[in-house]
Amino acid sequence: MSTGTPGRLLRTRRGPLLAGLAGGLLLAGFLAMSLGPTGIPPGRVVDVLAHGMVGAGQERAGDALIVLQVRLPRLVLGILVGAALATSGALMQGLFRNPLADPGLVGVSAGAALAAATTIVLGDALLAPWIGPLPFAALPIGAFVGGLLTTLGLYAVATRSGRTSIATMLLAGVAFGALAGALMGFLSYLSDDRQLRDLSFWSLGSLSGATWVKVAAVAPLVLPVLLASPFLARGLNALSLGEAEAFHLGVPVQRVKALAILLVAVAVGASVAAAGMIGFVGIVVPHVLRLAAGPDHRVLLPASALLGGTLLIGADTVARTLAAPAELPIGILTAAIGAPFFLWLLLRRPGGFSL
Amino acid sequence: MTFLTRRRLILATAVLLAPLPSRAAVPRRIVSIGGAVTEILYRLGHESEIVGVDTTSQYPAEALTTKPNVGYVRALGAEGILSLDPTLVIATEGAGPPDALRLVEQAGVPVIRVGDEPNQAGILRRIREVARAVEEGERGEALAREVEGGFARLAENRARVAQPVRALFVLSLQNGRPLVGGRGTTADAMLALAGAVNAASTLEGWKPLSDEGVIAAAPEAIVMMNRGPGGDAQDPFALPAFSATPAGGAHRLVVMDGLYLLGFGPRAPLAAQDLMVALHPDLPATRWSAQP
Amino acid sequence: MSPIIEAKGVSYRRGGRHLVQAVDLAVTAGSLTTVVGPNGAGKSTLLRLLCGELAPTDGGIVVNGRPIRSIAPWQLAHLRAVMPQASDLGVPFTAFEVAGLGVEGIGRGLSERDRLHIVGEALDGADVAHLAHRTYQTLSGGERQRVHFARVLAQLRAGRSVEARQVLFLDEPIASLDLKHQLALLRHVRRLADDGLAVVVVLHDLQLAAGMDGDLVLMQDGRLIDRGPAEQVLTAERMAEVFGVRLVAKTLPPHPWMLADERGSTFAQDALTCSDEPRRQASS
Repeated sequence: MSTGTPGRLLRTRRGPLLAGLAGGLLLAGFLAMSLGPTGIPPGRVVDVLAHGMVGAGQERAGDALIVLQVRLPRLVLGILVGAALATSGALMQGLFRNPLADPGLVGVSAGAALAAATTIVLGDALLAPWIGPLPFAALPIGAFVGGLLTTLGLYAVATRSGRTSIATMLLAGVAFGALAGALMGFLSYLSDDRQLRDLSFWSLGSLSGATWVKVAAVAPLVLPVLLASPFLARGLNALSLGEAEAFHLGVPVQRVKALAILLVAVAVGASVAAAGMIGFVGIVVPHVLRLAAGPDHRVLLPASALLGGTLLIGADTVARTLAAPAELPIGILTAAIGAPFFLWLLLRRPGGFSL
Repeated sequence: MTFLTRRRLILATAVLLAPLPSRAAVPRRIVSIGGAVTEILYRLGHESEIVGVDTTSQYPAEALTTKPNVGYVRALGAEGILSLDPTLVIATEGAGPPDALRLVEQAGVPVIRVGDEPNQAGILRRIREVARAVEEGERGEALAREVEGGFARLAENRARVAQPVRALFVLSLQNGRPLVGGRGTTADAMLALAGAVNAASTLEGWKPLSDEGVIAAAPEAIVMMNRGPGGDAQDPFALPAFSATPAGGAHRLVVMDGLYLLGFGPRAPLAAQDLMVALHPDLPATRWSAQP
Repeated sequence: MSPIIEAKGVSYRRGGRHLVQAVDLAVTAGSLTTVVGPNGAGKSTLLRLLCGELAPTDGGIVVNGRPIRSIAPWQLAHLRAVMPQASDLGVPFTAFEVAGLGVEGIGRGLSERDRLHIVGEALDGADVAHLAHRTYQTLSGGERQRVHFARVLAQLRAGRSVEARQVLFLDEPIASLDLKHQLALLRHVRRLADDGLAVVVVLHDLQLAAGMDGDLVLMQDGRLIDRGPAEQVLTAERMAEVFGVRLVAKTLPPHPWMLADERGSTFAQDALTCSDEPRRQASS
């Protein structure tokens, strides 16, 4: 009894799927560039992109500024953040072997939020005597560093004699999240109006503050993560059998765990620092792809990056245009787009994880 | 030599040398961010130049109903503002995110930031700053003087308050937890202007108050907004802690419009007077406005 | 012939107890070693020590003359494969994909096509080719076991492109299998040993163990009590002492069961027969 052509048994053709998702991303990108409250015709958008600020001509130079300084950095940041969050979700779900795993499980989000709150409320008091009022950039930098330190701390707690216990890390992350919440409550109690205001800006979760400076800060953190994550694909696939089995298959288990945790901390830390808390992308995108294309991480990781970027800029385009000239918070839109689609997939194909 | 008389020559020269009008009248398009800013612009008669307001611009009511809404004061979008093709943005302190406003400035639209100190000097400064931004110096001065006069009359009335009332300003009652205005809040400033004593003066900023704290504060009157963060004003006396206070005993609750009360715009003296009258019914003074 | 894997005075202590005590065991190419013993004897622990999963607290494991700790996991993966006793896999891989995990990143000079071919053949060998499309979680316990068997077969096949001498470890591989598949798997394993693979298998079923070629290793309380052919190791005294059972006959009969296949012939000699593989019977 032969299996016939082995190729037929591969659940998805990796090439066509990734190509399709890349096409989707391009389309979403084009829409994001063409749509907006200022109503610049697509032809003009292409024109500006081709000739840059200088060639745009004096008449309606404002168009060039909107396209190149407002929409384009927003698009790039949206793709980076969306890809970072989705890839991190896929990494976490693979590492914890659990579809409910969320990038926040490693403590990054809670740590970043707490660090941001601390920077706002206490940073002024502690550092102002030396360097005067804190620059606004202190906040995202503080958030990123806080997220990393938290992850490092949780990793240290969960690692004994060179072996990281994933279960311990999960529990420690939950405990830390509760602690962070309490501390943040305390900090908001101490804070004054202005500080509360600054904190709420940051935590609303939005791409509206996207500038080329932010892109330049985030890209060197997120791009290496996106490029490195496919190398973990094989290890994560094997890990789904269990750590012992993965070892037997030749996977350097501890190295895979440590690297995955590090990549997630950096990518999510940078995203949260730059765009605040945007939920749903990290947990839904990998899950949707798993239902549609199977759990092989060699497909899942790059596909998550593409779909995550697409989802985020799609949501952002709607956020910018639906109630123009006002903007809707992007977190609501990622949920509004992602959740029904996810439910539809679940109803169609109940072949999800068995917990 | 009949046409060109000396007189006519002098006249002609004068006309030719007279300064030209300062500029061709470029229609000004203003995006107004902040309830007080919008209110001031309307009072200065520049409402026709406003092309967009934020969600806190609730007075006059037609501001939000007739003008495009650029969103929440702390969640503005650069492109949204720019889509209205403004020539000027006047924003209250705390508008943001800062990067969005910076992008607007980069696009060549000046953004004038206006302070928000909740006191008399702050209001006057704000009026003058907005007036200067729209080159309405004279009317601005007039408005400022009017407001100043209002404060003066308010102070006179306040001097006649025999017994300052202990009042507690409750911002919201969500989940049965009262959020009250302590020292340094706009509520605190308004209570002071109204000649009352802030029952929550031991607290700093907006703070939640425990049941014991409510009883210990022993307010004689409760002040609330009619449309606060938690929705319409709930009845505080439904909570046992409140009903145990002197305010609860006398069932003294003053409810006023939020922006009117705390916006610290041009109507601030009126709001303070109304509050003072509401808190001190024995005072020989009347309300200055029909505002709820 | 030098052993591929050798345990030298190996002990493993955990929680104050010695799970394995001072065991010497050499695994040579082409050998079939069956490990038996009562529960808690340390059989699985010994297996895990031999395959490098656990580090001994005393003594050492040597692989091709080098200490096992000095060998990188990926190198080990080419020369030994381990079939687990149980595996909880929550991820919805198909049977084909699970078997495919055995060849991912293993082997040198193998094209994608080669790997797919190896997986296909392994599934055939484990008699789960007809289940290839099925999601792992929809399979029965026995079917899942066979998928893992296919996986280790694939791993060894792929690894052969790098290592000539390999070891296959099986920890209670027939626990959930029905009889026909139990026999088929053990027969397959025996053939692999004949072809030069070193095999170490932990079995619970003494009667099947007795029917295996090669040496039996008897363990009790972490110690290696005896090693040798079944007749030598499983004497009546040993049975009473180690397993607490009394044999009715003086020794274990060489072929405890008379198994008939569909054609009514009983198995003779040491051939374990399955009904649907006549050509293999001819070759043995």
